[in-house]
Amino acid sequence: MKNLIPILSFMILFISSNLNSEEFLLKNATVFTGSSESKLEKIDVLISNGVISRMGKGIKGLGAKELDLEGKLITPGLISPMSQLGLIEIELEPRTRNDSSSIYSAGFSIASTFNPQSTLIPYNLTGGITLTLSSPSTNGLFSGLSSAFSTSGDLKESLVKKDIALIATISSGDDSKAAKLLLLEDFLNFARNRNSEKEVSLLPGNQEEGNISSRDLLAIKKVTKKEIPLIVRTDKASDILSLIDLAERNDINLIIAGASEGWMVAKEIADSDTPIILTPIDNIPSSFDSLGSRLDNASRLHKQGVKLIISSHETHNSYLSRQGAGIAVSYGLPWEEALRALTINITESFGLEGIGALREGYRADIVIWSGDPLELTTFVEGVFIGGKKMPVKNRSMKLRDRYLGG
Amino acid sequence: MKKMNLIYSLLFLFGSVYLHSKDDTPFESTYSPENSDLILIKGGRLLTANEENPFFGDILISKNKIKEIGLNLDAPPNVRTINAEGKWVTPGIIDIHSHMGVYPAPSLNSSSDGNEATSPTTAHVWAEHSVWTQDPQMPLALKGGITTFHVLPGSANLIGGRGVTLKNVWSRTVQGMKFPNAPYTLKMACGENPKRVYGRRNSEPSTRMGNVAGYRKAWIKAQAYLNRQMEYEAKSDEAKEMGYAPTRDLELETLAGVLKGEILIQNHCYRGEEMAVMLDIAKEFNYKVTTFHHAIEAYKVADILAKKGVCAAMWADWWGFKHEAFDMVWENAAIVDQAINGKGCAIIHSDSSVGIQRLNQEAAKALAAGNRVGLDITKERAIKWITLNPAKALGIDKWVGSIEKGKMADLVIWDGDPFSIYTKTEKVFIDGLLKYDSLDSDLPKPTDFELGIIRPEEDRI
Repeated sequence: MKNLIPILSFMILFISSNLNSEEFLLKNATVFTGSSESKLEKIDVLISNGVISRMGKGIKGLGAKELDLEGKLITPGLISPMSQLGLIEIELEPRTRNDSSSIYSAGFSIASTFNPQSTLIPYNLTGGITLTLSSPSTNGLFSGLSSAFSTSGDLKESLVKKDIALIATISSGDDSKAAKLLLLEDFLNFARNRNSEKEVSLLPGNQEEGNISSRDLLAIKKVTKKEIPLIVRTDKASDILSLIDLAERNDINLIIAGASEGWMVAKEIADSDTPIILTPIDNIPSSFDSLGSRLDNASRLHKQGVKLIISSHETHNSYLSRQGAGIAVSYGLPWEEALRALTINITESFGLEGIGALREGYRADIVIWSGDPLELTTFVEGVFIGGKKMPVKNRSMKLRDRYLGG
Repeated sequence: MKKMNLIYSLLFLFGSVYLHSKDDTPFESTYSPENSDLILIKGGRLLTANEENPFFGDILISKNKIKEIGLNLDAPPNVRTINAEGKWVTPGIIDIHSHMGVYPAPSLNSSSDGNEATSPTTAHVWAEHSVWTQDPQMPLALKGGITTFHVLPGSANLIGGRGVTLKNVWSRTVQGMKFPNAPYTLKMACGENPKRVYGRRNSEPSTRMGNVAGYRKAWIKAQAYLNRQMEYEAKSDEAKEMGYAPTRDLELETLAGVLKGEILIQNHCYRGEEMAVMLDIAKEFNYKVTTFHHAIEAYKVADILAKKGVCAAMWADWWGFKHEAFDMVWENAAIVDQAINGKGCAIIHSDSSVGIQRLNQEAAKALAAGNRVGLDITKERAIKWITLNPAKALGIDKWVGSIEKGKMADLVIWDGDPFSIYTKTEKVFIDGLLKYDSLDSDLPKPTDFELGIIRPEEDRI
């Protein structure tokens, strides 16, 4: 049954994209596939049934709509690995936000409230984002579960995969970080040893007091069964080591987000196969937990073999993960690895099969660029999501057009 | 009788002390750079913020100033030559909106000193009195090419207090960083922040109309204060000796400084209609708004701003954190720049210790957006958004902001085109002194905070 889930979700993808039967043939593209070591030139890409059906030189596509890209670069659609896209409109207006819960903790799934028509969705599509792993905001030890959505704006078909990771935070605050680590481990043990969620209350309670509802328990149980990874937001080198130990002891899949001081323990992170979600642009020692922040964190981690995921530092401009990636490159991260950190490294870390690379059989999430995607002067010229050609338009452009020349 | 004489003479003494202290500059700048070497920067591509055409040439630095700019300058004896072929050279970058020092890193309750959010008008507070000179954000900004930055109080208040312009140099005292002779500024704030902060406390202002009433009440008081002062000043010396000098009022002294044109208004204001209202208030009380900061909607009123000679300080793409930041367009700076045939004054600012490290990148994004919609703006022009225009808006363009003969030798050598993501600063000079060098691990000088902070044998930066 466990193995069926990815296959089933894959089938759903195929069924939904079959409804959109328009075929496209992208001619003369320069391609960064995500898996190749470098860019491939003069490649044709045939898109049909929502996927990349063929890729290579001199491909003919009978009846497919041809687009001559004249050497323009295409990459897999970029992925926002951890933001509140679709959950939030205006940060300071609580009634435009659905990104945190005081009722549920670990079991808080945001999937049912994701808004494909949020203004942030087409805006970030314009910046190159085709998939978002939308996540609850930090709220105590457990924030809840993140889910994957496409940025197609489609009211019915945006969900790609529900509840793909559990998010927790270990940071300095009211209680000692040690207590938070203990509580995290207690919850893992408790969930692992319960055979039925009926043993706990249906109704939620205060997580810091050790209360937990059956829904929360189920979410934690998924982590203990390695069905989903546990993402922990933390920065300090010593805390990263503690978490790696905890993950090993408890046999769970760990992803660390933040990791400002990750470079100090890069080898230990690499040895434990822990992917790191980082925002390379942020080098401010903004707390005593992140005194070691530095711009070459990404490249130092990569040199030790750590799998990197690059995130933006803000939800509204999730696509600015590109700028962060560019900064990481200027401080030593190879360009190809930076692109992977925005695409395939993410889908691999979260078990989203068939997305995140330009390969035959993969979902056709493709961005056409005016130049190097990491360069500040580059714009998105075309986007395909699930094989469908998307309008590259947003509200901000309409505002601009109203006032430009006026 | 004797006693009365004593009292009178004390009063006279007090009066003269008062008059005397008015002529003094309290907290005066003590910044005085040591003499610089004779330096020749050869063969770089110069973005001078003064020329409109691409220009390759040499810059000679002597005695802390730019002595000469030109092609193939002769190398004087004892000159230190820096080969800048393949490099780009710009004026030192200036950030007109920073809270470094008043909201330092690490963020701690004990040094978070940027907002005197205890009353909606606090014109009497001065940001410089909150500055922690050992803020580790400052050397990071220096690595990003920042040679001058303007520190403002926060935006909780309608009138938040005086801002201060600082040179980005290590110093034990804030006076040692103060930009010599830079005019003072006054922070004002429109919109959501003041009405949110005070509205929550059930006190005025809780609405935008409450905001406007608050500004006008303050200016009415300031006008009366200024009138009393001018009446007193107009009196003969004899009459002055017989009467009392008006009592000093720190708040009104600052506001009167604005009305006298000595203190420059730096006005946090997002929405187009609010900018237009603020300009009418300025007209009512006969003062000038120098710059609207965070001007997300400046593009909606770009012609009005250009006509009045008001600058707009903007981000390249921040938006959505509050409603007044919802209508962001990437082309904002370019539209402001091009208003009324290029009469607009566009500035890219940071308000962020992350953004201040790469104002060149923020300008690049704004420039690219403008070019894409057909606004013909060159790099030579866009560099002004982070150099000459903020210098003008801070009243320091006589001394910095462009590569011009006689100006302070505040210069940045970049390892490539500063409008590229892959470009980094290579050398940063302040008054001709090398403050950052990518080849010298001792620069920038770490702050006191950073010494041995992670491990005793090494420093943080």
